[in-house]
Amino acid sequence: MNLQPVVQPRSTNGLSSRRVDRELASRMDSKLQAPITSSGGLITASLSNGSRKGGFESPSRDRLIFVSTCLIGHPVEVHVKNGSILSGIFHATNAEKDFGIVLKMARVMKDGSVRGSKIVSDIVKRPQTMVIPARELVQVIAKGISLTSDGFVSGHVFGKRQDLMTDSAISQSRRVEGERELERWTPDIDDPQCPELENIFDRHWNRNWDQFETNKALFGVKSTFDEDLYTTKLERGPQMRELEREALRIAREIEDDETHDLHLAEERGVHLDENFDLDEETRFSSVCREIGNDMYKENEDLDDMNRETFGDSFTSVTSGQSFDISQRKNNDGAQASASCSSWDEDGFSLNPSGRDVPLPASIDNNRQLMIDFIPKTVNNDRLKEKHNGDHDGGKNSKEAATEKSDARTSKSVETHPSLDTKESGIDKGVLSASATAYSPSPVQENKDSQNESSGTTGSSKFQARPCSSASSASEHVGETSTSSCPGLSPSSSVGSLSSEKSTLNPHAKEFKLNPNAKSFVPSASLRPHAPAPETTFYYAPNLGLPHMQGLPMGVGIGPSFPGQQPVVYNPQTVQMQAPQAYVSPATPMYGQQMILGQHRPVVYMPGYPPVRQLKHFLSHRNLYS
Amino acid sequence: MDAGGNIAGEELAVGCVLAIKTTLGEEFEGQVITFDRPSNILVVQEGAPSKPTGDAHRNVRLLKANYIKEFSLLARAEDPLDLSKCYLDLASVQAREDAAIRQAEIDAERIGTGVTMEAQSIFDALFKT
Repeated sequence: MNLQPVVQPRSTNGLSSRRVDRELASRMDSKLQAPITSSGGLITASLSNGSRKGGFESPSRDRLIFVSTCLIGHPVEVHVKNGSILSGIFHATNAEKDFGIVLKMARVMKDGSVRGSKIVSDIVKRPQTMVIPARELVQVIAKGISLTSDGFVSGHVFGKRQDLMTDSAISQSRRVEGERELERWTPDIDDPQCPELENIFDRHWNRNWDQFETNKALFGVKSTFDEDLYTTKLERGPQMRELEREALRIAREIEDDETHDLHLAEERGVHLDENFDLDEETRFSSVCREIGNDMYKENEDLDDMNRETFGDSFTSVTSGQSFDISQRKNNDGAQASASCSSWDEDGFSLNPSGRDVPLPASIDNNRQLMIDFIPKTVNNDRLKEKHNGDHDGGKNSKEAATEKSDARTSKSVETHPSLDTKESGIDKGVLSASATAYSPSPVQENKDSQNESSGTTGSSKFQARPCSSASSASEHVGETSTSSCPGLSPSSSVGSLSSEKSTLNPHAKEFKLNPNAKSFVPSASLRPHAPAPETTFYYAPNLGLPHMQGLPMGVGIGPSFPGQQPVVYNPQTVQMQAPQAYVSPATPMYGQQMILGQHRPVVYMPGYPPVRQLKHFLSHRNLYS
Repeated sequence: MDAGGNIAGEELAVGCVLAIKTTLGEEFEGQVITFDRPSNILVVQEGAPSKPTGDAHRNVRLLKANYIKEFSLLARAEDPLDLSKCYLDLASVQAREDAAIRQAEIDAERIGTGVTMEAQSIFDALFKT
């Protein structure tokens, strides 16, 4: 072909390649379209066409065309006669005639012309379409070509070159529609190093390894860890063995307790064989709702009956009945009532005579239900709450009592170490809590509140009741009564309850109502925001310490910051040695947040509420213990 | 042409492993895929001749035979092209080309106008950060 020799674009004229006859190019293209069409279909057909057309029957020609087609779209290097090297995307070739090449987005990598022996140019050129006539062509080098499977490598090669890649396009190789069929994981090879998951907890707990010692030895780190800071201190004394035994018994009792709750059963290792269609979600993670609701619904009518009964006589009978057996998970008031009623529906009949003999029977029937009722300590708390400023009357107390009762129901069970069987345990729990039994009915609560004019007195009263009622019953009840009375001693009895979740602090001192406590009224004015450097100065020069002694020791704020020795320079009082917040509840100190005169060392109480609110804090302290 | 025995009996040439030296000073070895006499182009595939045909990515050279300075026959092997597997999906070819061009255009936009090579190379290096 007679072409203008414009193989290498001159550096000065960026469009030199375009000087190629456009018609040449078009001619080439048109020719090219015959053998190499983009109309789809296999190249072999077009190859044969082309060969027939052009008379190139030799298979070598076909191969050449095949290879050329494979190259289309690939970046190639073209060596031309004068030594220049062009680089571009292989676009087309005129296989019919001489093998000319069209490159797109091509650039001169190395100029071999005489003029351009140096680096191609000082100016970077934009890539353009270049046509290399066959005459100039020396060599075409394409790297990374896969000839055999080239046809069907669809998106794989391009994935990296595409400018816009979507995830689905990237993973296009496997088009899996819909969800995959999940398979349970099985370990491929039994890895001896993997500890068995099942019995990882069966090993000896301590393994004779003390992490603190190890750390100290390895790194010289001395630990100040004290277990008792984080948990209740176990008092190892002569009582220890007994307490241990008791705790074990309680634990066994609870663990062996029958439950209908799926998750509880799973935890305890009870196999529910009958329901094989439980999927993993139901077994392990979902929240069981139906059962509780069912219980509730079934027993709605019974609630009324219970209420009546309970309202009638706040005696041991009702107490026995107020033994809310509810499922462990149903821990709200509504379900407490449900449990009441469920208990009831099992045949327990309200026996105003105070006989608790039928109780064990019905208890047996309700094995799966847990006891959910309140020892009288709950009532104590309720009382405290009431006195402590939530003067909302019965409402709050009821709610509080509801919660508390549910939280502590099993406690009462545990207060009787002498019980052997669960039934009896439950039984006793019932009985002991008889008087203190909680029922959802407001009537009873009011009665409770009435009965408990003061914390301690109320408890004693309730103590009397179960004892009296129990004595009328069978022997083991008698045991109950004897044991229950001491068992029901305030707060300390709770300490023996170890199994049930409890919000009680067994070691908390009993709250003694402070008659001087001012009811809390939140006020925005007198609260100094206390950033760290600010110090709240508690200065009460004229107040003696006797006020301080009025406060229960357990309420100390001091322990909160043990490291500080607040030096309160108090010229008048001498005894201010204790590192506790010096608060006088009776003193209207609200306006006295001031630093007198010269710079006195002050009590540094970072971020502590002012006095007035401190009082509130004090009064509410026990609730949160 | 000093291509020697290349012209005659190209069928024999297919599959041969040659070591070729070009007039431009290039040397390479490869297996002959084809030799097209009309256009005088020798298609050589570099790489070991008997590589697994799974997904062999090799370099392919299209060399004008008249630029072969010398060559030597290293071995004779089978046809590297399995004719039963030589299928081309033109649509994908077209798509590949379009993608390549698109990519090249994007790359070309990074090239400044009227900048020196050095500046361009610096820009290219920093562009990635």
